[in-house]
Amino acid sequence: MAGEKSEILQGTLDLMVMKTLASMGPLHGYGIARRIEQISEEALQINQGTIYASLVRLMQKGWISGAWGISDNNRKAKFYSITKTGRKQLSAEARNWERISGVIGRVLRIAERG
Amino acid sequence: MFAWIRTLASRTHALLSPRQVDQDFEHELETHLDLLTNENIRRGMAPEEARRNARIRLGGNTQLRETNRELRGLPLIETFLQDARFALRMLRKNPGFTAVAVLTLALGIGANTAIFSVVYAVLLKPLPYAQPDQLFNVFQAQPQEGVAVDGWSYQNFAVLRDQNHVFSELAGNQHHQLALTGRGEPTVVNTSVVTPELFSVFGEKPLAGRVFHSDDGKPGAPPVVILSENLWRGVLGADPNIIGSSIDLDKRSFTVVGIMPAGFRFPLLTETEQLWIPLVQDPLFGSWMPRRGGHWLTVTGRLKPGVSRQQAQTELDAISARLAKEFPAENNGWTIRMNPLQQDIVGDARSPLLVLLAAVGLVLLIACANIANLLLTRATSRAREIAVRATLGAGRARIVRQLLSESAVLGLLGGVAGIALAYWGVRGLSFLLPPSLPRINVIRVDNFVLGFALLLSAIASCAFGLAPALFAANANLQSSLREGGGRSGESRNSRHARSFLAAGEIALAMVLLVAAGLLLRSFSNLMSVSPGFDVQHIVKADISLPQFEYSKPQQWIAFSDEFLTSLQSQPGMQDSAIAVPRPIADGCANIGFEIVGSPPPSAGVSRTADFVSVSPNYFHVMKIPLLSGRLFDHRDILSSPRVTVISKEMARLYFPNQDPLGKQLFFGFAYDAGVAHEIVGIVGDVRDESLGKNPGPMMYVPYDQAPLWGANVVVKSTMNASNVAAAIRGQVQKIDKDLPVTDVAKMPDILDASLDQPRFRTLLLGLFAAMALVLAATGIFGVISYSVSRRTNEIGIRVALGASRKTILGIILRETLLLTTAGLAVGLPCALAASHLLGHLLFNVSSNDPATLAAVAFCLLGVAGMAGYIPARRAMRVDPMVALRYE
Repeated sequence: MAGEKSEILQGTLDLMVMKTLASMGPLHGYGIARRIEQISEEALQINQGTIYASLVRLMQKGWISGAWGISDNNRKAKFYSITKTGRKQLSAEARNWERISGVIGRVLRIAERG
Repeated sequence: MFAWIRTLASRTHALLSPRQVDQDFEHELETHLDLLTNENIRRGMAPEEARRNARIRLGGNTQLRETNRELRGLPLIETFLQDARFALRMLRKNPGFTAVAVLTLALGIGANTAIFSVVYAVLLKPLPYAQPDQLFNVFQAQPQEGVAVDGWSYQNFAVLRDQNHVFSELAGNQHHQLALTGRGEPTVVNTSVVTPELFSVFGEKPLAGRVFHSDDGKPGAPPVVILSENLWRGVLGADPNIIGSSIDLDKRSFTVVGIMPAGFRFPLLTETEQLWIPLVQDPLFGSWMPRRGGHWLTVTGRLKPGVSRQQAQTELDAISARLAKEFPAENNGWTIRMNPLQQDIVGDARSPLLVLLAAVGLVLLIACANIANLLLTRATSRAREIAVRATLGAGRARIVRQLLSESAVLGLLGGVAGIALAYWGVRGLSFLLPPSLPRINVIRVDNFVLGFALLLSAIASCAFGLAPALFAANANLQSSLREGGGRSGESRNSRHARSFLAAGEIALAMVLLVAAGLLLRSFSNLMSVSPGFDVQHIVKADISLPQFEYSKPQQWIAFSDEFLTSLQSQPGMQDSAIAVPRPIADGCANIGFEIVGSPPPSAGVSRTADFVSVSPNYFHVMKIPLLSGRLFDHRDILSSPRVTVISKEMARLYFPNQDPLGKQLFFGFAYDAGVAHEIVGIVGDVRDESLGKNPGPMMYVPYDQAPLWGANVVVKSTMNASNVAAAIRGQVQKIDKDLPVTDVAKMPDILDASLDQPRFRTLLLGLFAAMALVLAATGIFGVISYSVSRRTNEIGIRVALGASRKTILGIILRETLLLTTAGLAVGLPCALAASHLLGHLLFNVSSNDPATLAAVAFCLLGVAGMAGYIPARRAMRVDPMVALRYE
């Protein structure tokens, strides 16, 4: 897997996990990891294990919930889905993210010009 | 908030069922790995390669599990529990060490907790009234004359009450005893004489009926009374119809209007049975109300919310200036001051209790030093174990945490045992505590005290755990691993630390022993001091005359004459006398006087002496010697010229280099004021206020010339006290069957009881000093025997090279004495500083008494020598062959 890899900012993984669950419905850990990689067109390559830390954090905050199910390969797997408070949180955090990334973009442009 | 709770809940769940959570996670990871491998295969990887790649992309399995555990559980608590389990196992494996450490700690914490429970109840616990910090005693003072605290006249109080804007309520109170009759056996009840505002000052509601309202305090109002719950339940048999009925106090009928709950006690804080009457109804104090002069009413007030003490004092200054301007005769030179009520109630109980708390704190400090020493010894022998842990990757912080957890477990065990000891100790203390200690009834091991004990054990575990933990974590890994078996080398720092601790224990023990020694000497001085009178076989009893019925001095004289004559005619009761007040038993009445023909004293100096009214044979009964002149006799009656007998100290103080006999003094109470008394005799000095106070000037007057409305009797008789009491009761009731005879007691017991407080503190401090001595001795013993076991080798070589047993003994004893002397050298200045603080508790012994210091130093040297001798003897017996082979 060559190509440009980017480090994931602390906290952004949680946001991506929630967004993924919001748009895709219930998924297991592997599904979430794959989906994030696909969407980022393999630009972001995550250490897939870190997904699980993110999932624990989100569960503890009550923003996602988990239930045991059967995966495509007929194995026991935990399926995660976003909760109502999770959705609220997602839209708030997404707005926040857009604002910040907008600011950062502007700062970077100023820096380039200067 | 909720999210936080959910996090905690999920973490606690993980903590409580760690296996389940781990297994679940394992499943998840495996599924993930499978799916990823399949995907890789689909992309064309060989199965082996696909699996390897999947593992890499998922991340380290162990690491993942650790992070997951840390996130899910409560890692700090988990490691602590793990450490605690380990610590318990270690402690179980060393029962001797554990027993000594836990016992030492339990003694320290138990003693501290018990003493703290007293300190808390007496000094710290808020008073049981609403917003107690708003309550203040307001008093008058005359600083130039050295009068720091004095009461009010009712007239002055009324000005203060009506003109101030800073107190929401102010109330005056006094108290004495009145005879309750008409309800069974006549009894004497403690009576609080109060202005009607008293109950609103405290914001207290009655159990039944009502409290006083302002009309009850006006002249001419019908007499009313409020009872305490216990009085109502006790003497009055919990009569349900008591409200509205009447009781007789000093032969006058009072209507009961209310009952106060048992929890309310004021101003008589220790009496459970009491009653309250309005000032205006009191036979004694009521008659003083119209006068502006005098200082007899205690005033308590509640500051308005938001008013600072400063603001209040400013207003009080203004009022005292106004009083001095309007009524200069009574108020010139007087100022108004205020003190928090709590501070006034605690009074002089404060400093002895703080001394005891400090002393018991020192005991705990010594105990901690001892345990630290034990732990250091053990840490040295565990150096290998710790080195292995460090090599296997335990960080320094992790090792310190483990050792601290062990100390915490030890501290907790000691704390729990200490709390058990404290319960027992508080029960024991309740027999020892002087009844005169304020608020003694609220002393118990309550939640606050328990919290203190737990906090103390936490602090103690840190104190004794930190040093060994740091030393252990610092140890040199290589040398520890290379050294053989359990006898690994001890770092020089650690050895120094142990010697330092042992010497410190000696120093602390010295401070305590010196303090205890000084108190002991001063107590033995108190016990042997001559009071100036002989109390052997003397019994006292009180008879109080109802003041409404016996209102004239002539009646009092008639009663006392008839009573004494008939009492003295009884077999074995010849030596009876009346005296008001009696020394020690009743305290003293200090009044001012003037010498006829002598210029008045210069400003700022007042002439005062203790006044006693006695029947003629009082001096004979109490064996107070006549030094010159004559005693009183039957000629000294109300109609004859006034006479007085003065004490030797009074003659010395006010008539230096002259003969006081024939001189005349002005003094006396209202009906007698301004009458000259001729000095007819001089008698020996008497300690009337307390055994610990040097005798002051005293003037005696014949009872028949200065009678009072009661008869305080002293009887010298070889019969036992109850027979004496029966004889007195019989004679009293022959005269008036409604007169109660109370407070019958043996004078020696009263003198003894007056020493309760010094006895209590001497006993406790002695106990603590003994504990300190034993602990310090064990400390020395521990250090020396460890040093001997470490030096077995060296000693073996020395013996092999021809050193005699005496030399070996000398080596070891020298080490012991060096430690002890170092401790004494540090302890001496500390002990001097500490005993200086003790100065005001000492009697006839200086705070740097050389005899005490020398005795303590010798005692410590001796005890330390013995503690060092036991291991030294073991060193003497070292067999060089064994010692060398051991290597």
